[in-house]
Amino acid sequence: MRKRWSAVLILGTAVGVLLASASGAGGSHSKSGGTFRLATSSGIDSLNPYVAFNQDAYSMFEYIYPLLVQYDKDNKQFVPDFARSWTTSKDGKTWTFTTVAGAKWSDGKPLTAADAAWTINTDIKYKGGGAANAAGLIAHIRRAVAPNPTTLVVHYAAAPGNVLGQFQQFAILPKHVWSKHLGHKGADLKTFPNNAPVVGAGPFKLVEYKKNQIALFQRNDSFFGPKPQVDAFGLRIFSNDDAMVSALKAHEIDAIEAVPATAIKTLKSAGFTITQVPGVDQTDFIFNSNPKKKTHRELLNLKLKEAFAHAVDRDQIIRVVFLGTAKPADSIVPQATGWHNPQLKPESFDLGLANKMLDQLGYKRGSGGVRVANGHKMAYDVITPTSVQSTSRTFQIMQASFAKIGVQLRQKALDATTAFDEMSGPNGKYLNFDLALWDWVALIDPDFMLSVVTCAQYGGWSDSGYCDKKYDRMYSQQQLTPNQDKRRALVWKMQKYLYDRRPYVWLATQDSVDALSPKWTGLVPSPQGPFNSLSKVSLTSVHQK
Amino acid sequence: MSVVLHEPGAVADPEPVPSRGGILWNTIRRRPSAAVGAVVLSLVVIAAVLAPWIAPYGLHDQVGPVFGPPSWSHPLGLDDGGIDMVTLLVWGARISLVVGFAATLVSMIIGGAIGVLAGYFGGKTDSILMRITDYFLVIPDVPLMIVVAAIWGPSLFHIVIVIGILLWTSTARVIRAQVKSVRERVYVKRARSLGAGHARIVFRHVLPQVAPLLIANTVLTIAVAIFDETALSFLGLGDPSRVSLGKVIENAFQRAAISSGAWWAIVPPGALVAVVILSCSLIGGALEDALNPRLRVAHVSARTFRLRPLVGRSDSSL
Amino acid sequence: MRGADYVVKRTAFALVTIFVAVSINFVLFRLAPGSAVSNLSRVPHATQELRQALKRQFGLDKSRGRQYLIYLEQLTRGNLGVSFENEQPVSTNLKTAILNTLPMVALGTLFAIVVGTLTGVIAAWRRGTPIEGATVTTALGFYSMPTHWLGLMLVILFTGILPTGGMTNDFLINPSFWTHARDVLSHMVLPSLTLGLVLFGEYTLIVRSAMLETLGEDYILTARAKGLRPWAIIRKHALRNAMLPIVTLVALSLGYIVAGAILIETVFSWPGVGRAVYDAVLNRDYPMLQGAFLFLTISVVFFNLVADLLYYKLDPRIT
Repeated sequence: MRKRWSAVLILGTAVGVLLASASGAGGSHSKSGGTFRLATSSGIDSLNPYVAFNQDAYSMFEYIYPLLVQYDKDNKQFVPDFARSWTTSKDGKTWTFTTVAGAKWSDGKPLTAADAAWTINTDIKYKGGGAANAAGLIAHIRRAVAPNPTTLVVHYAAAPGNVLGQFQQFAILPKHVWSKHLGHKGADLKTFPNNAPVVGAGPFKLVEYKKNQIALFQRNDSFFGPKPQVDAFGLRIFSNDDAMVSALKAHEIDAIEAVPATAIKTLKSAGFTITQVPGVDQTDFIFNSNPKKKTHRELLNLKLKEAFAHAVDRDQIIRVVFLGTAKPADSIVPQATGWHNPQLKPESFDLGLANKMLDQLGYKRGSGGVRVANGHKMAYDVITPTSVQSTSRTFQIMQASFAKIGVQLRQKALDATTAFDEMSGPNGKYLNFDLALWDWVALIDPDFMLSVVTCAQYGGWSDSGYCDKKYDRMYSQQQLTPNQDKRRALVWKMQKYLYDRRPYVWLATQDSVDALSPKWTGLVPSPQGPFNSLSKVSLTSVHQK
Repeated sequence: MSVVLHEPGAVADPEPVPSRGGILWNTIRRRPSAAVGAVVLSLVVIAAVLAPWIAPYGLHDQVGPVFGPPSWSHPLGLDDGGIDMVTLLVWGARISLVVGFAATLVSMIIGGAIGVLAGYFGGKTDSILMRITDYFLVIPDVPLMIVVAAIWGPSLFHIVIVIGILLWTSTARVIRAQVKSVRERVYVKRARSLGAGHARIVFRHVLPQVAPLLIANTVLTIAVAIFDETALSFLGLGDPSRVSLGKVIENAFQRAAISSGAWWAIVPPGALVAVVILSCSLIGGALEDALNPRLRVAHVSARTFRLRPLVGRSDSSL
Repeated sequence: MRGADYVVKRTAFALVTIFVAVSINFVLFRLAPGSAVSNLSRVPHATQELRQALKRQFGLDKSRGRQYLIYLEQLTRGNLGVSFENEQPVSTNLKTAILNTLPMVALGTLFAIVVGTLTGVIAAWRRGTPIEGATVTTALGFYSMPTHWLGLMLVILFTGILPTGGMTNDFLINPSFWTHARDVLSHMVLPSLTLGLVLFGEYTLIVRSAMLETLGEDYILTARAKGLRPWAIIRKHALRNAMLPIVTLVALSLGYIVAGAILIETVFSWPGVGRAVYDAVLNRDYPMLQGAFLFLTISVVFFNLVADLLYYKLDPRIT
């Protein structure tokens, strides 16, 4: 097996000039088979689900571990993965999943509902320690049991609204491997390196991993679901976009999961297939909305926030910063998730209106045309994280248009850690900062995005200091609304509520843009890119032309 | 006598140094390379000073498409924000030079003070100060700059301080050695025996003698400071609101200028940095040569590593 | 001072320096705003439980003084701690990164030494001719270029001819030794060349200066007067004596090259120790940073010591 594997890989490799002689054996590629080589400028930070944070790591878990459910091709509905079907009890507190019979882990051991129950119970048991990483996913669960190999029963303390949305992100681990790493009160779950070859049960097996370089996956022929058409799949990690695009042009790789906007034109003309779909990464202009904020309290005025929103030239931001690969944004929930409130529209770019509103608020222009509010100049620092590359150019555009409404903006660029500390400081009280630019990458289920403006997230996820009891009540209500239509109505109402109060002015939703070599086809785009943690469809259907 | 690695300046008996203005002028006149360096550097400095008047477009004005190619109205094309490259070069040179000069000033003040104190007082003061200098010499400076710049936040002021703090060691050594030799001269001894105060001796007798060498060292330090600023900017640690030449390169690189075919956004700013550093090296090198022919080696190593004199580092400090 | 004394004192100084470096970087990183925990937990799935667990796990709930003592204690046992980022031992992460950096740096340095010595010698021998002018100008030119910019220029020139990113073609599985070697070499050419060209400028100027120094000595003039062939003079007399400063300077520079390789590693996506430092800063991965700094400082101090001792050995007049 090993021999064949190596031969296939060498053949599947686009061979550089110097390597031309390396692949001795010739042979033609069949339509299936081959190695699909994808590039990323992000990367996998850890192979251990209790440690990993990066999106690429979660996408990898999607392909090497069984999950109960996955999204369909349009990311609208949940469809079976390891769970074939599921039912809910009347009170919504008990969920029963029927799982695949006769499934096997990649090392040949049986994969049953007991593995799923064990993973859930382990995460509950160690959620304050080794399994803290997964604590969010098992919220409200009391325990899970597996009465037989194909039945999983999950008991909840209260009927939750997004059970499947949570399980869609929950990788089931092999009990026979991980149960050996519960020492030190579960802390060993995190120190287990889970080195390749990883025991899993997805369409691919991870066979090799070099940090910051490569993750190599081989087709798992014992997988219970639809098998990949390729023999192998490799994720190559670049530290900069330029090297990545050059490698694609030189056919050292077959596809890029997030193409820099500036490279789209040249890649198109070089014959690569560019696919552009609406994404879930949105840039936002943040107002410190903490009602207890000490200085510059005029920024809490909703009318002022509205005036500022009319001074944002989204079209120019999209043209210059994203070269057209983005859409104007208006809500905390991006359109691509399917949960967006369609009644919301971006504020018009209208400096006249913005000026009129500020005039009405009584902020007169002082020296240098800068307005005065409460006895001080309307000059504010805008915190921008250096890691979000688009913020600098976005800031420049906003600075220019804000100058025209008599508001002076100054950029305060900080690295992400320092920026967040400055915003949440002191001690998670959100007392000091005024404005900021950042971005949020949403999940498909809206729960997470809606949670970041709750009071409970002070010092946690909150980057706006927004805290509103009425909103918090709506938030818990949607969490416990199993009826998805009712939940949707509630989610729309919450979006409108936030739109009016503006902890954020949403600027642009970036498209997810991938580039694919003309020799390949079948890659399925998604808001998270073609390699994602939403479903197993993309890399199982990609194949050579 | 085959030892060339003298403590910089520690020659047994240096020639009497001509007047300060004189040596600068003489060197430039006698050495064509130094003259070329001086002319080029002056041109860049003049352009940088006049930036607000000679820049063809506004520094923040989007005058065309992102990465627009060179044309008659934009001979060097446009950058990733659609801003004219010529404008960026003029303004970028201005910021880069400001960083270079300011960081050098910081390092001159620190290095000068430590060098004078150590050289003039000798003994315990000398050995303590030199021990500190030794420590600074072995700090891996590029990584440390990255750490400090990342932690303090990317601002021009921080960058100036960081570079200044890490660059003073060679200055301190050069000055210390020179001060030591000057101190032993007859007229200084006489002044001291006549009861002149330390400050008076240092300012009236020692500093004027050391000044020419300080000038040479300054020019070379400017080059290193500009290089360091370019490097920090490239790693994303530059001040995003102040466009230096390093920042221009970084902006273009971050947005895949090379693979997008926009070479014009990357080649000119780097070439300009190279020209400035080259000019400084030519001037500084020629000056050091003229002042003290035995110094030739010292300046060469200013960048990737800073030369630690091997001999004559008085073993009294051990 | 006697020889043994000298060696002992230099070594003691080196050890003290390392200790100071270790302590200073402990303090430096902890003075920084923003803790590893606030950074690590800014991801989906993060909860208060996670935050608390991370704090406990990495000992960040203890006082700074206590953390320092624990750090020193672990260090004496050779334990560099566990990386915050991937929870693997720092020594493992560092070893991988260092092993990636070293061959690339070694190749570039070797290039610089060989070519730099050659051109330096030629420039010195042909003093005052256009050859010297051209050599010195070229050397100064490369010496003046920003390292990363030179790398980018090579990328522009060689795109499509040589690999411009990464360390290997990772899709070669179980390649034969020669295939693998050829692959790694082809990826190494551009980064090594960048390093080599920058250093070449420096080494040329050093060698030239050292040679000029020796070429002016009486015995060389005598040899020239006796009509010995130029190459023989250079090899037998001049270069041998010029070797002293050259060798020490090169040894000195080695310590800094690894640290300086970060720019090259960024341009060429090289997964080495420079990138490791950079990533660790962004992740506030203190253990990783401390480990990397320890390594970098030790390498600088070590090569300083080597230079010192070499100089002592080659030139016993030092007292």
